[in-house]
Amino acid sequence: MTTDPSRRVTPDNTSAARRELIGARLKEFQKSEVERILSACTRCGQCFEVCPMAKYSAAPASDGKSVVPGVLAVLRGERSTPEALGWIAVCTRSGSCVPACPENVDPKMMMRLARMTALGGREHPAQIEMKDDPDYFNRIRAFAQLQLSDEELKEWT
Amino acid sequence: MERITFWYGCNVLRHGDIIHSCLDILRSLGFDATPAGGPDYCCGTVKDGNQTTAGGMASRTVGRFNAMKRERVVAWCPSCHSHMHDFMEHANDRHFGMTYFVQLLYECRERLRAFLTHPVPMRIVMHQHVGFQDLVPVNRMVPELLAMIPGVDVADCGYVAPGYMCASFAALPKALHDIHANTAASVKSAGADAVVTIFHQCYRELCGLDAADVTPVYNYVHLIARSMGLAYEDEYKAWKRAGANAADLIGPQRLERIGIEFYERAILPELKKRPKLTSSS
Repeated sequence: MTTDPSRRVTPDNTSAARRELIGARLKEFQKSEVERILSACTRCGQCFEVCPMAKYSAAPASDGKSVVPGVLAVLRGERSTPEALGWIAVCTRSGSCVPACPENVDPKMMMRLARMTALGGREHPAQIEMKDDPDYFNRIRAFAQLQLSDEELKEWT
Repeated sequence: MERITFWYGCNVLRHGDIIHSCLDILRSLGFDATPAGGPDYCCGTVKDGNQTTAGGMASRTVGRFNAMKRERVVAWCPSCHSHMHDFMEHANDRHFGMTYFVQLLYECRERLRAFLTHPVPMRIVMHQHVGFQDLVPVNRMVPELLAMIPGVDVADCGYVAPGYMCASFAALPKALHDIHANTAASVKSAGADAVVTIFHQCYRELCGLDAADVTPVYNYVHLIARSMGLAYEDEYKAWKRAGANAADLIGPQRLERIGIEFYERAILPELKKRPKLTSSS
């Protein structure tokens, strides 16, 4: 079996300039989504009320109206409340919030962006911690070495 | 013959049998399928805390798929599929169609039915999550696919777990414990022989229930493969069940490939991990 030429790393498909351009586009998309959410959300709290994960928060909130402003604060890059950060930390993308939102805000996207921001991923200081697993990708590579042939490793990964 | 890329993702590399079975299924259905996955094809979703890195990973992966010039990419992993939909495609020029693996099987279900010839006598409950259904209604599609297998009886199960897959709960032990306990209870109340997962991330977590003899656990691809007469060994489950003795099954040659120190530090704890449930729970 010969290596598929399209799999070779070429300047066309992975150049630094291209990555930079796409990185800028991704940030622009996230920024526009944040602006859309901030202007559309009425802070009614319905998204929180239907969330099946809210009960697992380390700082449970009493109601949605009190916790959602803290999520919006995170999106603005401001310091948030323990209740909002606790809710953001337990979001596992159930998506129950999406049909519950009367303004079609897409609270699942709101929470995803809030999580990225609170973790420090969007150029604002981190407000929640994520345990980094230094072996994450090496573990995957090891399982691949245990289960795939040399030829499969070369061609498929 | 449609030329597709089978984007299996990263963590399913724990389950070589699932990857091999999926490829055989795709090729039996008449697709010219080329597999691609592993960290070099990461979607970037694991890098929520660093969007510069996440964006770089996404652009590299989309660039590689564009260069492969195949009509569509068929994703196995729900995280990759949703990350492509939610973020990657808004920043990248994608030159291929995207389909989720279950969607493709569902699309081809009449062709698939002809290959499901070996009976798999088993009453099952599905392990389902609330999420991901807006993208692909897998909670409806997978039971329909499994019901085509002679002998499979899909029991009604009242329990649907929160989130979209179990691996997200690794840092939420109380929630994961609830999922394990409710899953075990649903198998018992349905009088089922086994629980069947849709996603590999759930299979990996629930394999602990199998290893602890709470209930047998399968992924839906295991049942389809068995009915098609495919016979790839589920080594991950065997290693998980062996726990501390998994090295005996893996063997010295393969252990040497990854290094004993790495195996003991990074692999063995996962294989030994068991849910805090008993068979009587």
